Amino acid sequence: MAGILKYLAGVETPKTLVFGITGKQGRSKARLMKKFGTEIIAGCTPGKGGQEVDGVPVFNSAAEAVNTFPQLNTAVLFVPASAVKKAAFDAVDAGLKFLVLIADGVPTQDEIILKEYVSTKEAVYLGPNTVGLLDTEGYLFGLIGGSATWARKNYRPGKVGVISRSGGLSQLLGAFHCRPDLPGPRADGSYGPLWGEDYPGLSAVVCVGGDPVPGISMLDAAIAFEKDPRTEVMALYGETGTTQENDLAEAVMKGEITKPIVVFLGGKFTKAGISQSHAGAMIRNEDETWEAKQKALLDAGITVVERPDAVFGAVLGKLKNS
Amino acid sequence: MSALPEYRTRILLERENVPLVKGVFVTQVAEHPEDLPEMPVYLKAQIPGATSRKSRGLVRRIDTPDEFVKNLNILLSPGEWGLAEGVLITEGVDLIAEYYAGCMLDFGSRDKLPGGVLLFSTEGGSGVEGRSGTLLKMDFSLLHPPAVEDIETELKNLEGVEEHAAVAGFLKGMISTYIGYRLNVLEVNPLGVLKDGSILAIDCRAEFEKSAVRKSDWDVFFPPGLRSSRDITELEKAVELINRDDPSGTGFFRQNRDTPSNEALRVATNLCGGGGKMLWEMTTGSRTDIFTMNESDTSGGLSAFKSYRILRVVLAQKDAQVLLLTGSGMAFQNQHHLAAAVWKALRESPTPLPSLLRFGGTDEDKASELFERVSSTLPVPVRTYPAVIFPNAMVDDIRDIAGEAGKTGEIYIPPEGEPSITVETPPGKIYFYPERWKKDEIPPSVAACPTGFLKWDISGLTTDPEAKCIGCLMCETAALLDGNAEILIYLEMPEVVD
Repeated sequence: MAGILKYLAGVETPKTLVFGITGKQGRSKARLMKKFGTEIIAGCTPGKGGQEVDGVPVFNSAAEAVNTFPQLNTAVLFVPASAVKKAAFDAVDAGLKFLVLIADGVPTQDEIILKEYVSTKEAVYLGPNTVGLLDTEGYLFGLIGGSATWARKNYRPGKVGVISRSGGLSQLLGAFHCRPDLPGPRADGSYGPLWGEDYPGLSAVVCVGGDPVPGISMLDAAIAFEKDPRTEVMALYGETGTTQENDLAEAVMKGEITKPIVVFLGGKFTKAGISQSHAGAMIRNEDETWEAKQKALLDAGITVVERPDAVFGAVLGKLKNS
Repeated sequence: MSALPEYRTRILLERENVPLVKGVFVTQVAEHPEDLPEMPVYLKAQIPGATSRKSRGLVRRIDTPDEFVKNLNILLSPGEWGLAEGVLITEGVDLIAEYYAGCMLDFGSRDKLPGGVLLFSTEGGSGVEGRSGTLLKMDFSLLHPPAVEDIETELKNLEGVEEHAAVAGFLKGMISTYIGYRLNVLEVNPLGVLKDGSILAIDCRAEFEKSAVRKSDWDVFFPPGLRSSRDITELEKAVELINRDDPSGTGFFRQNRDTPSNEALRVATNLCGGGGKMLWEMTTGSRTDIFTMNESDTSGGLSAFKSYRILRVVLAQKDAQVLLLTGSGMAFQNQHHLAAAVWKALRESPTPLPSLLRFGGTDEDKASELFERVSSTLPVPVRTYPAVIFPNAMVDDIRDIAGEAGKTGEIYIPPEGEPSITVETPPGKIYFYPERWKKDEIPPSVAACPTGFLKWDISGLTTDPEAKCIGCLMCETAALLDGNAEILIYLEMPEVVD
């Protein structure tokens, strides 16, 4: 069975190029990805073509890498924020279909230019400012899990698709759906284990990132999970800022998404106009407030919870009803 | 987002040949130019992000030389506005019309790509977006910016503008400035029209992201030696120093400027990542009995060395009663390393706090075990929580632990002399004491090194030049728990913390 990338980017079997593989983070995370099961074919660092990192050949550009390995179709970028735009242009110009942009602090104007540029290509990208994507089919892009052993232990195949604007909560919402005997508030008001060994499990985790102009939005990810036959319920972390939750609510209202959704909506006490550690969470207008988003989601019939441990009981309820 | 005051915004516009009203920037009264323009002139105190400048007396029209010196003195002295960076003196000009022009970002939505937005109004002042008849709102691509002819065509549809070509040229210059410096906001207000039909920027301002500033432009965005009194506390400055010394990961720290009620419990926080911050805020945002003393975000792959240094700052907050540490609950950073940093901070801080610690992620069990082993030696009570217990449950314990008595801790004395090993990145000093390890076998501290940076051979402690120290504190932790304190780490702190 194909993973979530089939529905996000039309990629059934990812063959991956790692930008920045010669750097400290790129090298260590490429090892994590590879150990988890991602097929890493090549690396790319301008000026370091010809080297090898852990047996992976390094090229000066994506074009050079694709010339040697035409099967390449995906890339993850462990490059500094200031280099993201140029590297992403290089990747999509070389014909890669799916990119993950890890860096935090990419200038918003660069993000906007990138979005416009990529819209003219047959490519999509996740991020910037994301921990990446993990699919329990056996591939991982980015940092999720920290180590391959931990990731394999904590992210197990199942029925829940996770979408989040926070790196930490991406990992939490994913892992806790795979944790036996997870305690939490139950539908009857009591608190205790929600399930035993029969945890719901996970199809994939998609962290759309914390920036104001994400490539793949929450809605894009939700549409992919809607098509993914493994996914029965979606568990989301949303917050103030951007129109992502509003767009999602509108799509549910229109019937474009029919699978049940549970949203933990953060930012109830976020003040308008104040910069947040997630740059995208800053409230710029009325539609971006917590109250407006909560109303839009509830009006669309989406379950909204205000405490994180309430997500799992709510997901369980949806699974029982489906 | 940061604000650029008028005199520095003018530098950017000037570089793009955008016409400006004549002006001189001064930082001292003695600097005021001999060739001062004819009266009247305007004195404008330069304070980044200041609003309502006229009503607050930060912009003053001056008609006589006596008034000039007196008012320049006032605006250059500290006032209710703090301390201005300086004063911009601009020429008073006769205008026949005042317009507004601005550039900002549109983040887009499902049906619309993001891009820039040009706003132009034939009326100056604020609230331009509400004026339908006299407002031009033109979306533009940052990738393919509009030509001057495109702007002129749009202007021709707007009532009340006669100087189409001149205004279009001006707006084109603004857009070039806006894109060239990757600004978030650029405003000219008013944009003045003179009798001869020429136009000038009379006042302007900009907003920017620090990460968008190119090094070649730092002289404008971050000029050295600014005399402004920034809104920054001594402990925030200490974290700036730590970040400068060790730029790895995120090391965010900001103290709460609000005043707590007398009854409120003052909680110092170390919230790892945006998710951790959000969990704590959702738990306590509506509670008046809990006062969060600071925001701090330590995430993004920082070392335990740096976690320790920021924790020391968090603990140094005056009147803090409890430390609360949590991430979202599933970090990709090794939780055992973080626990070692917390333990070290509680040992070495002169002001340790009763602590509630939630560890979640890789090696979370080892993190909790560490505190189980050392609990009897800690100077303060500490409770640890697994990731499945969320802050909404932790907070129920917070008053109890604040009321628990601690022990009298030993005063921390840093190691003296030359370190055995100095680590450049992340910065730290490793002291090895051979007299404390006489055995032949490898000491626990060296065996605990996860990267192989520390080695042990016949001559004793060595390092592997191919391996790197990641600043995890595992060597010192093992030395103290399983060895004979044969390795100690010294991490330098800004003076204000000690």
